[in-house]
Amino acid sequence: MNFIDAGVVAREDLAPGYFILRLGGCEALAGALPGQFVMVRGDWGRDPLLPRAISLLEARPDGMAAILVKTVGRGTALLSRATAGARLRVLGPLGTAFPAPDAARQDLLIAGGSGVPPVYLQAARAAAAGRADRVEVFLGGRTAQDLPYATGLERLGVSLHLTTDDGSRGQRGLVTAALERRLDEVGGRPRLMACGPDPMLHAVARIARLRELPCLVSLEAAMACGLGACLGCAVPARSRPFVYVCQDGPVFDAAEVYQ
Amino acid sequence: MTAVDMAVTMGALALKNPVMTASGTFGYAAEFADVCDVGALGGVVTKGISLQPRAGNPVPRICETAAGMLNSIGLANVGLEAFAADKMPYLRSCGAAVVVNFFGETESEYVECAARLSEIPGVAALEMNISCPNVHKGGIEFGRDPQAAGRLVRECVAAARVPVWVKLTPNVTDVVALAGACLESGAGGLSLINTLRGMAIDARTRRPRLATKFGGLSGPAIKPVALRMVFEVHRAFPDAPISAIGGLQSGEDAAEFMLAGATTLQVGTQNFVEPDAAVRVLRELRDFCAAGGVTRVLDLRGALQA
Repeated sequence: MNFIDAGVVAREDLAPGYFILRLGGCEALAGALPGQFVMVRGDWGRDPLLPRAISLLEARPDGMAAILVKTVGRGTALLSRATAGARLRVLGPLGTAFPAPDAARQDLLIAGGSGVPPVYLQAARAAAAGRADRVEVFLGGRTAQDLPYATGLERLGVSLHLTTDDGSRGQRGLVTAALERRLDEVGGRPRLMACGPDPMLHAVARIARLRELPCLVSLEAAMACGLGACLGCAVPARSRPFVYVCQDGPVFDAAEVYQ
Repeated sequence: MTAVDMAVTMGALALKNPVMTASGTFGYAAEFADVCDVGALGGVVTKGISLQPRAGNPVPRICETAAGMLNSIGLANVGLEAFAADKMPYLRSCGAAVVVNFFGETESEYVECAARLSEIPGVAALEMNISCPNVHKGGIEFGRDPQAAGRLVRECVAAARVPVWVKLTPNVTDVVALAGACLESGAGGLSLINTLRGMAIDARTRRPRLATKFGGLSGPAIKPVALRMVFEVHRAFPDAPISAIGGLQSGEDAAEFMLAGATTLQVGTQNFVEPDAAVRVLRELRDFCAAGGVTRVLDLRGALQA
């Protein structure tokens, strides 16, 4: 893990409220795994004070890295105005990751909205290993505008199932409904790996429990440091009173964090 | 550039420089070893330790506020035995003086904790937390009453083999009275300030942002309050060794706290913002001294012209 002085190379505005920041100078992030994240802060004085925990969308050996951000508050709004040349302090890579693709089993990857980065990286990892046929991706959002990196996933050549609540793109309905339909078809014991809003993860965990499937979830939490010092990102767990998203996660066995 | 003597003596404890990290903001230091030159620091103050491990408060526990943050962690810690076995090996070898923050729920727990921690090799001093705003038992109930504080400090000082500093709360009317009671009872130093009790509300959901409703405010937002309290205590007790805490972000902030009367400085919330903040503050303080012709950092202490 490193504390990097990174530069914004480009900002790509996706749908309203979603954007990608492409960063240079991030050689130290190369090799980051799907699910790992960074703490990011711009040079904007004392307020807002804390860095933001954001999943990595990409971390290349040439030092180019990317994060996908949804504008939700003051910090992400400031990031959304970053232009090429802006400096960011980046701490990472942090946290745990999804397990490596396994030639012997099918992985169904489920993402909701801005939860797409770990799922994208995992699908890219499978594709790079020549196992694109072993993963299927389910990406859901409220509207067509909430499928922020569908194009990136399409480029990977993996099987992609899109859903929107309003039917404006892909199948109408929840991503978990599409997942269940597919599970009914494929049979076997695929692994589920998911990242997205808490209600979606809760539903995926429930599906996994009822069908007795292995399931990993990548959680999001407010945190101040990312290093296990502030103890702000506690989540009630099964095996002990709390687990910490920054150090024990963000990737957890679903049964550990969703009962 | 002028060479600057950065060494300080905090009561009986000699430190290579005045910059430390504040309890609860630097874990057990090993968490920061990859990205911070811990050994460059004068000292580190550990997460608060209790006899038994504590899981901490329900969530949400933290919330960002204007130029600061609220926390209600609830003194989560690994407990004394795991601290000694698992956390001390790194701390002992890190190159910074180790000050162990501790607390209890009862007087006897405080005293036993002080005695046992002070016997661990490598512990340079203890910092007694009688000021946590986030737990019902222990902490602040001792920290608001000079008589109760004085009695507890006296017992801990008698039980410990190393200097005992006392961390004071700003959530009182008269911090000078508390400071006086602790000093009379043998406190080897005073750390001030702990967090200010505060609250944040989400107007849309009509709920408090912290599960415990109230939490402790920290960060640059509280620096003026900390400066005032350091100055008040220093003015009343000019010889008392003071470790200043509260919104410290830069070498110039550090100089301000020393001018107000501090001997050592604890960088707190800023460690979350940049994990090597304390090392930068040390470098900036040295540069500040050199640029101003100050050859000995302790010459800043109490040198406020007021």
